[in-house]
Amino acid sequence: MGPKPGEMVQGTLEMLILKTLALEPMHGYGVAQRIEQVSEGVFRVNPGSLLPALARMERAGHVKSEWRSTENNRRAKYYGLTAKGQKALKSETESWDRQTAAISRILEA
Amino acid sequence: MSFFQNVSAGIRALFRPSHVERELDEELRGYLDASIEAKRRAGMTPEDAAHAARVEMGSTNAVKHRIRSAGWETAAESLWQDLRYSVRMLAKSPVFTMVAVGSLSLGIGANTAIFSLMNAVMLRSLPVEEPGKLVLFGDAKAAGSTDSLPNESWGLFSYPFYRTFSQKTEVFSGVTAINSIEFATHGSLAGEGREMLHATLVSGTYFSVLGVNPDRGRVLNDSDDNVPGNGTVAVASYSWWQRHGSDPALVGKAVHIEGTDYTIVGVAPRGFFGTTVGQSPDFWIPLSMEKEISPGWNGLTDKWFQSLYLIARLKSGVTPAQAKANTNLIFKQYLRSEYLAPSPSQKDLADVAHAQIDLNPGARGLPRLSKRFSLPLEILTAIAALVLLIACANLANLLLARGAARSREFAMRMAIGATRARIVRQLLTESFVLALLGAAIGIGCAWNASHLLLTMAIRSPEVAAMNVSPDPRVLAFTLLLTVFTAVLFGLAPAIRATRLDLTGSLKQGRGIASPSSRISLARGLIVAQIALSLVLLAGASLFLHSLVNLTRVDTGFNKQNVLIFNLDEYSAGLPLDARLVNLQQQIEERVQMLPGVHAASFAMFTFNEGQWSTDVTVQGIPRTPENSQDVFNNVVGNQFFSAMGLPIVAGRGFDSRDRIDSPRVAIINETMAQRFFPGGSPIGRHFGFGDDPSHSGDIEIVGVVKNAKYVELQERPEGAAYFPYTQRVQYFGNFEVRYSGDAGQMIPAVRRAIAEANPNVLVGSISSLTEQVDASTANQRLIARLSAFFGVLAAFLVCIGIYGLLSYAVARRTSEIGVRMALGAKRSSVLWLILREILALVAIGIAIGIPAALLGNQLAVKLLYGLSPADPASLLAAITMLVSAALLAGYLPARTASRVEPTVALRCE
Repeated sequence: MGPKPGEMVQGTLEMLILKTLALEPMHGYGVAQRIEQVSEGVFRVNPGSLLPALARMERAGHVKSEWRSTENNRRAKYYGLTAKGQKALKSETESWDRQTAAISRILEA
Repeated sequence: MSFFQNVSAGIRALFRPSHVERELDEELRGYLDASIEAKRRAGMTPEDAAHAARVEMGSTNAVKHRIRSAGWETAAESLWQDLRYSVRMLAKSPVFTMVAVGSLSLGIGANTAIFSLMNAVMLRSLPVEEPGKLVLFGDAKAAGSTDSLPNESWGLFSYPFYRTFSQKTEVFSGVTAINSIEFATHGSLAGEGREMLHATLVSGTYFSVLGVNPDRGRVLNDSDDNVPGNGTVAVASYSWWQRHGSDPALVGKAVHIEGTDYTIVGVAPRGFFGTTVGQSPDFWIPLSMEKEISPGWNGLTDKWFQSLYLIARLKSGVTPAQAKANTNLIFKQYLRSEYLAPSPSQKDLADVAHAQIDLNPGARGLPRLSKRFSLPLEILTAIAALVLLIACANLANLLLARGAARSREFAMRMAIGATRARIVRQLLTESFVLALLGAAIGIGCAWNASHLLLTMAIRSPEVAAMNVSPDPRVLAFTLLLTVFTAVLFGLAPAIRATRLDLTGSLKQGRGIASPSSRISLARGLIVAQIALSLVLLAGASLFLHSLVNLTRVDTGFNKQNVLIFNLDEYSAGLPLDARLVNLQQQIEERVQMLPGVHAASFAMFTFNEGQWSTDVTVQGIPRTPENSQDVFNNVVGNQFFSAMGLPIVAGRGFDSRDRIDSPRVAIINETMAQRFFPGGSPIGRHFGFGDDPSHSGDIEIVGVVKNAKYVELQERPEGAAYFPYTQRVQYFGNFEVRYSGDAGQMIPAVRRAIAEANPNVLVGSISSLTEQVDASTANQRLIARLSAFFGVLAAFLVCIGIYGLLSYAVARRTSEIGVRMALGAKRSSVLWLILREILALVAIGIAIGIPAALLGNQLAVKLLYGLSPADPASLLAAITMLVSAALLAGYLPARTASRVEPTVALRCE
């Protein structure tokens, strides 16, 4: 049984946020929207998990935030990747790749 | 963000909460706006878009809470909030807080004080290097010198054995020998006056085996201990050095002790008190000086003079089993080759076969105090623990009542979203605040109390030097105790208080949380308190009875009006011969001539000063189990018996006929006379020391004296023999004077008389025979006092508990009582209605408490005198006291109940 739409594999939210922010700094809603679009609606991130995750990652030093104005001239908190965050993204992606490869090997065996 | 940034962000959040809050709000609003915007663009109506976005977000407060939880400061903040709230709540009910903190500080303080004593006496390691590797040979319970062939687990060793063993051992990196005989004398530093000095004789290896380095100068080494009489050096203790102004020039000076000058070669490090807890020697002197220190000590060459304790340091990698095997191998070889005759008797062979050395941990040094105090301390620990349990039960009860009174507050908080866990946490924080306050006050009291306890128990100047102030171990103990206590008394009431029927609690003016179960828990706590208090009171009553029995013991001698002068005859510088006897007789005669003096005499022992006991054999009397028991010996002056008020019941006392060159004589007591000569007269018969029937029996019995107590009040009648000091020349430490009149005038007069006889004889402390008898029961006195104090305290706590429970019950039943009285119930029957409840609880508590008390009292059996641990009178006294206290506590609320005006009570509803 696969994950239902909107449900996320445990522990992957922070990796997805890191990946999303690797392209460019974004505000919270932008991140949520991007994840939903790219995953073609499979993952839907609600603010109740996204914003606390961003706060946690900021405390961990993986992202940094600043207030900027948005395209329609509102103030919003933009999150960007730090060097530490880039490293974390790299190592998390690698370990994810290893795990998924291993899982598919087991499933195909 | 680095660690520091994390910390600083947390601190910013703590101190500028409004700023952080604004940012959070703004971010959430921005998110919501963006979400609505996007949904509208996707084709939703503005209303639908706003609604959908809100649903996605959920409760903004919950989201904000979760965001805030990402930082450490939130946990700290809520703890801080809880603390502040707790303090506010406690400050609002000062009486409750005072009672709670008061009983807790007593409970925690008592436990801390007794644990500090236990720590100092039994637990703390010596301040030496790697104390865990030190091993003590035997249990070091006996002190002195023994000339018996080792025939059991052995603890006293000869100097020759120490030397041989040190060479042969393969399992120890070093061995040190310590003289078991305490030695106090007067000595003087070159050019200064005499002072009281304590010296310990130790082997040259002492400091190196312990791994103790000097504060200055050097410590002893093996070469100081190689040639008898050659080691005229001494290491001073740090406290002695401090008493002499911490003068660096003292190293190199000579201290004059017993006619020999010892060069002070070094000062021991600060805090090093030797190897015996409770002693604090001023000097350590090499064992090679044994004969110079005390001419009677022949230990250096005589293998039968076994007077040394041995402590050794294990080589690393050696297991205790290996150490024991190797040690005993050498011991047995030595015994066979050195102690057994070429063709040993069966008995000697069997003795050696039973001889062995048990290796005990040496980290805590020689157990001088612990052997005396371990049992009393264990009992006091048990008592203190019970007091704390009772205090906890009492507090739990108070908190239950408080919880009931606050149920509306809890219901309100839960209704606006607090979880039950959150409120339990808050209530536990309150308990911790109470416990911490109690602990803080308790430690403050314990700090002073443990020293007070110690001096109460042991009246000795040595003890003053002992360090009983709380150390990290004690503080850790107290902290643990505090946490344990807080959970113990706080958890159940907190859980009970938050089990709420919300709507009910909010609706009622004063809500009641499941009253029946609350009451039953409270009743259970009261029953437990009564049972525990009974254990305490029964114990206290036993100890008091036992103490009364002890004070009524007939000592045999008359303890009134006898002064005991503690003096030092060594300092007169006379040898052990007629010259010394002459001086002693002069002193006696001079004092005897003083007005108001009835008798004056030297004595080896008065009472409770130790013993010299031997086997004796009487000429012509076959040995029986009855007469093979040891006889207590004493060496005394001519007027000893009149000084002690002991009448001669047959024959004569000592007098001028008993000279150094006249036939040896003895006076025996009634018990010895009965054992050896049942029905016959002992006068004129002869006996000798030892168990050899062919013994010459060179001592003639010239008199029989009344029985007396020798070592302790508890002892059975013991056989005793007294010898005149003219025939057994020795230095004395005791001089007793029976007088009439004012002791305050007698003391200087006697001092003057002694000084006139010889100004060099130094008089030290002066006590009375009564004090000596009292001091012998110091342990029992201490325990009786403390257990009585704690017992009464426990009963008092129970009273508070009962009063609280009944007041609450009466308040709850006011309307019921009103109805009863309106229907014609008499005041007395209402009184009975309430008291009945408490009597039932007391009955259950006592029913549980009796077997517990009987069981607990078994612990005390060794400390009791003249009654059994199941003494019914003591138990009855305890029960009576507890019941009357409970009735008194119950009567006040019951009376309030019986005075309820039916009209008022009914109108209340």
